[in-house]
Amino acid sequence: MKLGYCVLETGEVYSGHWLGGEPRAGEVVFNTSHSGYEEIATDPSYYTQIVVMTAPMMGNYGVAREVWESHRLWIQGFVCVQMQASAGDQAWLERLREFKIPVISELDTRALVVRLRHGGTPWGALVTATSEGEARELAKPLIQKEKGKEKDWVFATSSKNFQIRVGQSERGPRVALLDLGCKENIVRELLPYCSEVGVFPSRTSFEKIKAWNPDRIMLSNGPGDPMDVQETVETVRRMIGWKPMMGICMGHQILSLALGAKTYKLKFGHRGSNHPVRDEILNKIYVTSQNHGYAVDSSTLPVEVKVTHVNLNDQTVSGMMSSEKRFLGIQYHPESHPGPREAQALFQYFVEQL
Amino acid sequence: MPRRNDLKKVLILGSGPIVIGQACEFDYSGTQACKALMKEGLEVVLVNSNPATIMTDPEIATRVYIEPLQPPFIEKILEKERPQAVIPTLGGQTALNLALELHRSGILDKYNVQLLGADPKVIQAAEDRELFRNILDKVGAKYPKSHLVRTFEQGTQVGDELGYPLILRPNYTLGGGGGGIAYSPEEYQKMLVQALHESPTHEVLVEESILGWKEFELEVMRDAAGTFVIICTIENFDPCGVHTGDSITVAPQLTLSDREYQAMREEAGKIINEVGLQTGGANVQFAVHPQTGERVVIEMNPRVSRSSALASKATGFPIAKIAALLAIGYRLEEIQNDITQSTPSCYEPALDYVVTKIPRFAFEKFAGAKDLLSTQMKSVGEVMGIGRTFQESLMKAVLSLEHHAEGFPEITVVDERISYPNSQRLFHVYQAFREGWTVEAIHELTQITPWFLEQMKALTDFENGLKKSNLSTEVIYQAKKRGFSDALIARLMQKTESEIRAFRHKMKITPSFQQVDTCAGEFPSSTPYYYSTYWSQPTEIPRAERRVAILGSGPNRIGQGIEFDYSCVRGVKGFQKQGVEVCMINSNPETVSTDYDTADLLFFEPLTEEHVSEVLRVAGVENVVVQLGGQTPIHCAPGLVQQGFKIMGSDLEAIDLAEDRGRFNQICRELHFKIPESGMAQNLREAEEIVARIGYPLICRPSYVLGGRRMEVVENHDELLSYFERHQEAISARRPCLIDQFLEGALEVDVDLVRGVDWVVVGGVVEHIEAAGVHSGDSQGVIPPQRLRREVCDRVERMSQELAHRIGVIGHLNLQLAIKDDSIYILEANPRSSRSVPFVVKATGVPLVDLGVAAMLGETDAKIQSHQFVWRQRTDVSVKGVVFPFKKFPEADSILGPEMKSTGESMGRGRDYGEALMKAMLSSWMRFPEKGEVFFSLREKDKSEMLFVAQDLLAMGYTLSATRGTAQYFKSQGLECVEYKKVHEGRPHCVDKIRSGGVSIVINTTSGRQSIEASFNIRRACIDYSIPCLTESDATEAFLIALKKTREKAFEVHPLLPMQKDH
Repeated sequence: MKLGYCVLETGEVYSGHWLGGEPRAGEVVFNTSHSGYEEIATDPSYYTQIVVMTAPMMGNYGVAREVWESHRLWIQGFVCVQMQASAGDQAWLERLREFKIPVISELDTRALVVRLRHGGTPWGALVTATSEGEARELAKPLIQKEKGKEKDWVFATSSKNFQIRVGQSERGPRVALLDLGCKENIVRELLPYCSEVGVFPSRTSFEKIKAWNPDRIMLSNGPGDPMDVQETVETVRRMIGWKPMMGICMGHQILSLALGAKTYKLKFGHRGSNHPVRDEILNKIYVTSQNHGYAVDSSTLPVEVKVTHVNLNDQTVSGMMSSEKRFLGIQYHPESHPGPREAQALFQYFVEQL
Repeated sequence: MPRRNDLKKVLILGSGPIVIGQACEFDYSGTQACKALMKEGLEVVLVNSNPATIMTDPEIATRVYIEPLQPPFIEKILEKERPQAVIPTLGGQTALNLALELHRSGILDKYNVQLLGADPKVIQAAEDRELFRNILDKVGAKYPKSHLVRTFEQGTQVGDELGYPLILRPNYTLGGGGGGIAYSPEEYQKMLVQALHESPTHEVLVEESILGWKEFELEVMRDAAGTFVIICTIENFDPCGVHTGDSITVAPQLTLSDREYQAMREEAGKIINEVGLQTGGANVQFAVHPQTGERVVIEMNPRVSRSSALASKATGFPIAKIAALLAIGYRLEEIQNDITQSTPSCYEPALDYVVTKIPRFAFEKFAGAKDLLSTQMKSVGEVMGIGRTFQESLMKAVLSLEHHAEGFPEITVVDERISYPNSQRLFHVYQAFREGWTVEAIHELTQITPWFLEQMKALTDFENGLKKSNLSTEVIYQAKKRGFSDALIARLMQKTESEIRAFRHKMKITPSFQQVDTCAGEFPSSTPYYYSTYWSQPTEIPRAERRVAILGSGPNRIGQGIEFDYSCVRGVKGFQKQGVEVCMINSNPETVSTDYDTADLLFFEPLTEEHVSEVLRVAGVENVVVQLGGQTPIHCAPGLVQQGFKIMGSDLEAIDLAEDRGRFNQICRELHFKIPESGMAQNLREAEEIVARIGYPLICRPSYVLGGRRMEVVENHDELLSYFERHQEAISARRPCLIDQFLEGALEVDVDLVRGVDWVVVGGVVEHIEAAGVHSGDSQGVIPPQRLRREVCDRVERMSQELAHRIGVIGHLNLQLAIKDDSIYILEANPRSSRSVPFVVKATGVPLVDLGVAAMLGETDAKIQSHQFVWRQRTDVSVKGVVFPFKKFPEADSILGPEMKSTGESMGRGRDYGEALMKAMLSSWMRFPEKGEVFFSLREKDKSEMLFVAQDLLAMGYTLSATRGTAQYFKSQGLECVEYKKVHEGRPHCVDKIRSGGVSIVINTTSGRQSIEASFNIRRACIDYSIPCLTESDATEAFLIALKKTREKAFEVHPLLPMQKDH
């Protein structure tokens, strides 16, 4: 058995078993979902991130291509306590290996999570080595290289070509979906209500979208810091008030930036399927699926924008809207996958009421 | 919305005596709820008939009533207390059914009382299977094809239509009572009759089989605003077909994909809403087809339950407490998560560990009962193991069962023990893997999800590697991560346990202790609830200056149950009052002792020397309390002392003096106390020599047994031969058979006392109602004694004190004595708190456990003022009733003997003996038919003694019937009596009469193996049809007293008085 190390750029090293893949670097984050590993790994929002699962046992129920949230795995590494690798079933491990994603098991995830909770989510790398010292040496250049990567991660994960997806409601609206690293389930949730969903690359200009003549605009989720996203903020600013618009996660943050608000990095982010939110639109409190490292500073939002959704764990902004300008920003994932589906009705609200 | 202001006073309904399917988890939930509501400033009135509970301690609620859980008594309490509301969701099915009765009879309306948590509509929707199916249809949930059957004829048609196997589920019963799986028409018809009878509404849902499907349970909470959270998902290791209470279960669910799980979650939410549950906890059970993923709903309970207790312990989320707060108007987001102190309660716990629950069974107690599991619950207790992985948690849970120090010892595989669900299946599956069986082969036989089997197989594969390995840090570390005990590692590596431990400590391979924090480490928490694991870095636990550890009593079993948890919890509070911090160590998720805010530190661990000593080391504890948790901690004591820890109170020498029969008898002789004549026999020949000396009748039992296992009264030589033949495997030179003179007809008493350095307080003398020969746990008892002369009773007290001095007891001592012809015989001493302590404390108000704590802390009489505690101070009479599980074991005999069989106890308090008896018996679910026929079948020596009973019954308007001998005797005495045939005399015989409903009460005394067997069918018929069946003459007299009292229809209810002065 090879030794695997999770090396943080701040100096801490955690060891475990190296189960394969190639050494890689990324931001080290943790997710508290009990299930949904395959959805998480294929969610473009995890681009450049090494995911530490707090649930100890992974791979238990195998894999299924139909739950993929995009065409590939995006994570930079996968860490857990125990990985299903029996003779009967090791499909999940094989899939990770197929994408050369480094996997470390038998690692004290609890200690690592407590470190991330205290000190925030630093860069780090998963490497295999024979000693801690060697691991540090191997990790350093990997981290440097990854940090030096082109910053507009939304662009990196967004589709590059415009694409039309046919909806199931002939009379339904045509929705322009700005792909900022979109999860497939946003599309799946929209299609039943729409006649067409036009998926636009992140750097599409306002004119191009306008030319397609959509009825509504959806801004998708996506990875990274919204401040690094180029062109999109400007495009969105021009669309405010033009057509009803909804932003999810990164889309919500871009919308906020376009409104002149500020975003900031959360200490260790929200990643899991158990975050309580007060929703003043659906008028209920429910548990949501969350995955974001940045949040919108409510004090910087224009006065006419109403904060309609609050994360009840830390009172951060979970959503905002303007009925006048007809836009809605949702910080969490009403499309779930993984996670509870209680916010699903927001899609209907977007299509039919906003 | 904050709390409702209109609520000032509420009544909480408890769950009554411990029975299979409804155990101390309801003490846990009720106690938690009481504490929460008291803290909110509400007046809380509690009623429960079970004295062994913490919740019935006078301090837990504003006022505590120990009264039968039946409408007339509740009405009296309502009249007296006038609460605004009743909370029926904390006392299991008993409380829900009681609430329905109160509603239907108009009592709730009469006193203008509302039901909180669940209203009658909700209770009916969840319990009435037809209503429930309509609800499922409405939300689009599927369920197994089924028909509601109300008559036998309809039932047979339904059976033909659905095909076999079939599942029978009677309406409104607990623990699947009266239900089961029928594989053939014959079996089905037999079960249908019983099931129709068991349902209070005579309705049975007959359902197509979903045997072999995967089974899941979601623990749900909902508030009045409709916010809904899943606290825990539980997956059953055993597929459908085994009652979930009898299944091994794990949390969180491990084999469903996120999509499958979320769909299930969503459906649970819809069902809860449609049922109309306003606030509180509930559970929904699902089955999932292992291949197609098709999902069906099995059932839903709109209340806290056994599984919600498990879910609370598994996640750290206090379901019952939150349910109580929701019931008085709070919303989930308004209640802070106790554990993190920073986040709200409207979230779903995230686990970074796995818990495994394994039930504990008692088939060995019921001769003839088949060890097979079905939809009717049979387990009497459970353990929970927490580990970082499934393997670690499974191994810890197995060790917690206290079957074997190795967890999985080597056994001989029996194929049927794998293919038919039974209490030993886990062990046979494990052994089969050791012997090279494949996952496929075992899956084929068991339908257990292959994932679980692979995990087990990996453990045995590891064992094989271990056998060939040399001792090294890596090897031991890997073994410990898989949950292997030092004892198992030692055997596999051919070392001794202490060698392994020494090596482990030398190499610093010690467990880390992690918090159960509800959030997988996402938020800081200061919860003191820990489990051990070898998967993490060693952690530090803050030290305290004065800290002791109390060892709990492990899984409930017959003979060691909730009574010991009472002592433990009361002990915790006692130490805390003296400024001493307490670490609680226990493995039983049903208990109050394992609530995270009972002790200062809680360690959820197996009660083995290895696990306990690791806790003591990490918590910096030197002093250990082993006298509160029953026999389990006593067993740990020698090993702990050897490792350098100190036992508080009675030391090993004192324990040994009391426990070792030889040494104990020696002491009695020194003190000139009588003991029954006795001897030890390694074989029949030696036994015969002993008989020559002491004569018949005898009591025989093998050495080293608990709860009277294999203990029998032997009346003649034939029976002696039979005894040695049947128990030969338990008797050897190393384990001789203990033979005692049997004091036939003697009166037995239990004495519970506490001795300090220079003081003794006798807590009470409990007089048994049944004569010697019935296990003390199965006897009804009364305080103060009713038949024992005062002078003799005083002598009993004096002798008990002398014994305590001589043994050198510090703390608790329980003694059993027998009195025959005014001579007192000492039968047994237990150097620990006992089963009778909670009853004694509640009957007398002497705070025995608190005094025990003072004794252990070395307090002297100057401070204790022992003279002020007087157990006879109270003028009322308290009777302890008993509850038996015979219904659940169709092949078992209900006759009482030296082997304990009861699962629980009740208490009746009254102004006189009759009232107390009546209440105790009612609380034990005894029925008192107002008229009808009383059938007698008596052994020769009871006939004259029972004559006045027969006369009284006739005078009260009952008619008499009897078997020939008894009938002729009655007739010869001028009584009118119908004569029935015995079973072997041909039909129609007496059992036909009983089974056809012609008999209201049965009095059947018998002795000697042969006649006991011959009359088995009489008693069995009574059990099946819930007909009162008295099998002992003293108990019959007591029954008659109670029966007369019920006809007076006059009774009062009184709250429990506070304890006698705190020291």
